[in-house]
Amino acid sequence: MTAIDSDPGDDATLTKRLAALDDATRAMAESRDFGKQLKLRRVLDSLRRTLQQPGGCAAVQSRAEALEEAGLFMGTDWASPEILVPALGAAGLRSGDADTVLLEATSELRMLAIATGEYAHPAISAEDAHQFVTQVLATNLTMLFTPPSEAERTKQGRLAQLIRDLFRHLGERIGYESVLDRLVDELWRILRQRPIQVEPVQKMITQIAIYRSDPDVDLGSAVQGLDRLITSLFGTTEASREDPGIDVFRSRLEAMDASALQFEATGFARAMHDTGLVSPYHAELLRFLLEGSDYLLAEALGLSNTGRDCMLRYHDLVHRLIEEAIHPQTAQAVYGLALMLDRGILYQPPVAPSLWRQLALPLSPYARERLTLAYGPTPGPEARLLAGVLSMLGLPLGVGQGDNPTCQSARALSMWAYNDPDYLLQMVVWAARDDEIIMHFEGQAISSRESVSGVATTLPTDLDPVSLLVVPHLDRIYAEMGRRCVGRPGDPHRWVNPEFHGWWTGRGFHIDVDVETGNLIDVDDFMRHFYANYHPAYNGDQPLTHPQPAGIAATDSAARYIGWHAITILRVGLDPQDVMRVYFYNPNNDSGQDWGDGVVVSTAGQGERFGEGSLPFEQFASRLYIYHVDPVERGDVDQVSAEEIEQVIGYIHRSWGADRVPVGELQASPEPADRSPV
Amino acid sequence: MPSTEPADRNPDKGYVALLGWSLNAVEALDRFDRRYVVVAPEWAEEYCKNNEIPYIPWNFERLNDRSMEIAETLQEEGVDVAIPLYEETVEWAGAINSVLLDNPRLLGQAMLLRDKALMKRRAQLGGIRVGIFEEAHDKGDVIRFLKRVNQTLLKLDGDPNDPIHLKAFDKAGSLGHRVIRTPDEVDGIPDEEFPVLMESHLDGWEFAVEAWVHNGKIKFLNISEYVRLGYSVFVPATPELEKYRPAITQQIEKLIKAFDIDFGFVHPEYFVTSDGEMYFGEVAYRPPGFKVFELLERAYGFNAYQALVLAFDPKTTEEEIDAFFPREVVDARGYAGCFGVYPRRRVVSELAIPEETEDHDYFESHELSAPLEETVTKRTAFGTHWGLVYFFGDEPYQMRDLLKRQEDLDFYV
Repeated sequence: MTAIDSDPGDDATLTKRLAALDDATRAMAESRDFGKQLKLRRVLDSLRRTLQQPGGCAAVQSRAEALEEAGLFMGTDWASPEILVPALGAAGLRSGDADTVLLEATSELRMLAIATGEYAHPAISAEDAHQFVTQVLATNLTMLFTPPSEAERTKQGRLAQLIRDLFRHLGERIGYESVLDRLVDELWRILRQRPIQVEPVQKMITQIAIYRSDPDVDLGSAVQGLDRLITSLFGTTEASREDPGIDVFRSRLEAMDASALQFEATGFARAMHDTGLVSPYHAELLRFLLEGSDYLLAEALGLSNTGRDCMLRYHDLVHRLIEEAIHPQTAQAVYGLALMLDRGILYQPPVAPSLWRQLALPLSPYARERLTLAYGPTPGPEARLLAGVLSMLGLPLGVGQGDNPTCQSARALSMWAYNDPDYLLQMVVWAARDDEIIMHFEGQAISSRESVSGVATTLPTDLDPVSLLVVPHLDRIYAEMGRRCVGRPGDPHRWVNPEFHGWWTGRGFHIDVDVETGNLIDVDDFMRHFYANYHPAYNGDQPLTHPQPAGIAATDSAARYIGWHAITILRVGLDPQDVMRVYFYNPNNDSGQDWGDGVVVSTAGQGERFGEGSLPFEQFASRLYIYHVDPVERGDVDQVSAEEIEQVIGYIHRSWGADRVPVGELQASPEPADRSPV
Repeated sequence: MPSTEPADRNPDKGYVALLGWSLNAVEALDRFDRRYVVVAPEWAEEYCKNNEIPYIPWNFERLNDRSMEIAETLQEEGVDVAIPLYEETVEWAGAINSVLLDNPRLLGQAMLLRDKALMKRRAQLGGIRVGIFEEAHDKGDVIRFLKRVNQTLLKLDGDPNDPIHLKAFDKAGSLGHRVIRTPDEVDGIPDEEFPVLMESHLDGWEFAVEAWVHNGKIKFLNISEYVRLGYSVFVPATPELEKYRPAITQQIEKLIKAFDIDFGFVHPEYFVTSDGEMYFGEVAYRPPGFKVFELLERAYGFNAYQALVLAFDPKTTEEEIDAFFPREVVDARGYAGCFGVYPRRRVVSELAIPEETEDHDYFESHELSAPLEETVTKRTAFGTHWGLVYFFGDEPYQMRDLLKRQEDLDFYV
């Protein structure tokens, strides 16, 4: 555990913040009950500032007793830890009220201090406190490895990150063994979506691996799936069994004959395709095999026939890509490379030359600086970017927006990687070499350099290399396109989406929200056209030809409206249970979200491909508020049954549409809570 | 577990009455060794009862024939001295203390300290420099004064006027403070604000002083540096201002003499002009606004309300009060400042502390709350801020720049 906790004493900032916290705590302690409220503000603000620092959780944990005795919890439920309920703790931490979050977080750390025996509490035993922390941890596992969702970001801002640090600290201190099986399930659930960025997952697996190697820790009976996760990173094969280090591994490879190498190659390939994780040794193997046969290289990448053909056809290019981009530090790009080859996109005429251009691309000093800042100096920024390009081309649906309000830009990148890869490569060149992207809006050029502000107010750092460089440009251009629509009636996405994403975005536009009032409008017509265009039963069994941008009303697990969110509709089809589903891409990092009222987005097991989320057609339709269609493709609008539309409207009225029903209509319609027709 | 026991009181020391309700003051006295009683309007009764805070009800309206009643009540109770917490209770304290301390002069002194015009005359008589000032009873007086001041400054017709300042006679701090530059602006003053005190504008550096006085001697003198009047203040001041400390101390000594102040606390404001000349602005005989007491506690570690009690209590010994106070400036643990937030936009919907503020190493806490109304009332005079943001750090110039910077940020969007 040495790597995780930096010594609080080393950190000057933390020391200062602790001094402020201790001073505030002392002032509160000195005050008689009625005066404590006067001292509360400073204690809470110092707590927030302490917890935001590395090592802050540990420091607050060690002060839990002093804080409680000073009267921090006085007059609240937290004053009686014996009556607290773990499930409510989670709600407190997700509160939009910063003070509630801070009190809850501090209470959690107090429980931890009690559980570990450093604080003997008169009202609750160490065992009960341990049980409490375990349950809180078990019910909040997602917090351990996914960045904040749209809902959390909107509601909590930067506190969302603080909570994540808190959970990591709780997990490290209380031990993951009690929650291990659920933790492993959760890791698999995330990995099945094949995100490009897997650092949080890798960190968690590393953490568990360290745990397991500790003789003092009994992880109990074997947990299903855990070994696979650990071995995909460490000790995947015979030559890397005991995590010997790259140099030893390399010398072992050098001593191997062809069949032993074949064994290594298939071992790594299987692990990679199984989990989506790539071991650093795997990258080293690939570099080693460059000098050998293409056959072994294809084995090591676990290629399909298509991929194998592709690799042979573009032999020189693939070799150069591996030489430049694949290093133990960029091992994940091996998976991107393999899937890119399997997709066969190199056969599209502009793609291979674009990759050659990328290999020789000089980066601007600014781009180099941003990449180095985000990923460190080794390998160099060119290699990082190239590795990022491979990952994005291999995993178009693995693009995530990180903790940034830039869903539009993430969606665009994903869509181009999926549908128009050479265009994506062009964008990367402009951004990385020129620090400028120029797009056109209705004939007028828009430069990302001249557009001052985007949706995001700060530069992102938590993104994959391609997003890191390109998103700030796209974000500004997107915002500028919006500004050029100011004064036009209705929603600007009607014009912005086709110009921003590509020609294939339908010029027909439907929206069921009145921009002026925010009320629902023309829902029946909106839904009829959606069914007629997208539902195979009404559009003549026509599969969706191109990914289409769409807007959804994001709702939380209580079906309450959170905000508008950008997604891509990818395809519509029957799942294995013959339910008609919409499969879509969500730039949020974890698509598996509970949108309330029984609408739970599935990410695996219902016919989803890696990275897709899916919902039954009517449930998806109920969260939709903007979509595009080709205006000359007219499905049969009248054939859509009233029952189907009513079912969708029921979902809308029970969620984000609850307070958007125009007054007259509400009086004419029955209570939206029951499922009766409107 | 939370402490609910009041502190031990020393029966050999004084028994003080706090005039006016201030939770901060009560909280500080509650953990001090003097016996105390809160004299406040009836709405404070329930709270005091529930929290075992000694309390005597009293409504502080204008001094009237019933004033003797409260003085006698306090005398029967055994109270030694009354301490005013607000501008409105200063004359009450004077009236009560003239009875308790058997010193009729104290009432006159308090009246003097309550009227800004009288105060200036007395200062002038005491050999203290003041700007040009006059009383105004109507708008005509204001226009005449504005013209005359600018004639004195040898301005020609068409030259931009030097502004004049209008202040209520008897309100605290910047309440009712207006700056007038042109005769047109005079029309905007409501008639009910008259009479007012008018002052010429002094182009200088304005600062405030907090001085605790015992037996006619200054026991602790703090200089509060305003970064912008009505917005921000910090303590101790920068070396740039502290270099005037000897001159300032002299000024305060003159002031104490001119107003015949033997004990207690004064809070005057001064201008220092570019040639180092001090001009007296006004003086108050009560704690300053803008939470300067809290800033002092953060910077020095002593509680300024407890200091107030020591300075007022006739039973305080010289040794006791000397031991209580730290040494000025050198004993400060750092610089504590605060910034008063005014919404900068006309329509606001939420509180959003700027990240640059929240992330600053000096930021400590804030007491801003979410807006209740979306439309911000237009400010005419210097209004009231929406709450304070507190900072603490170890470099005075960084503190000054930081406070200045806050003026350009939106806390409400």
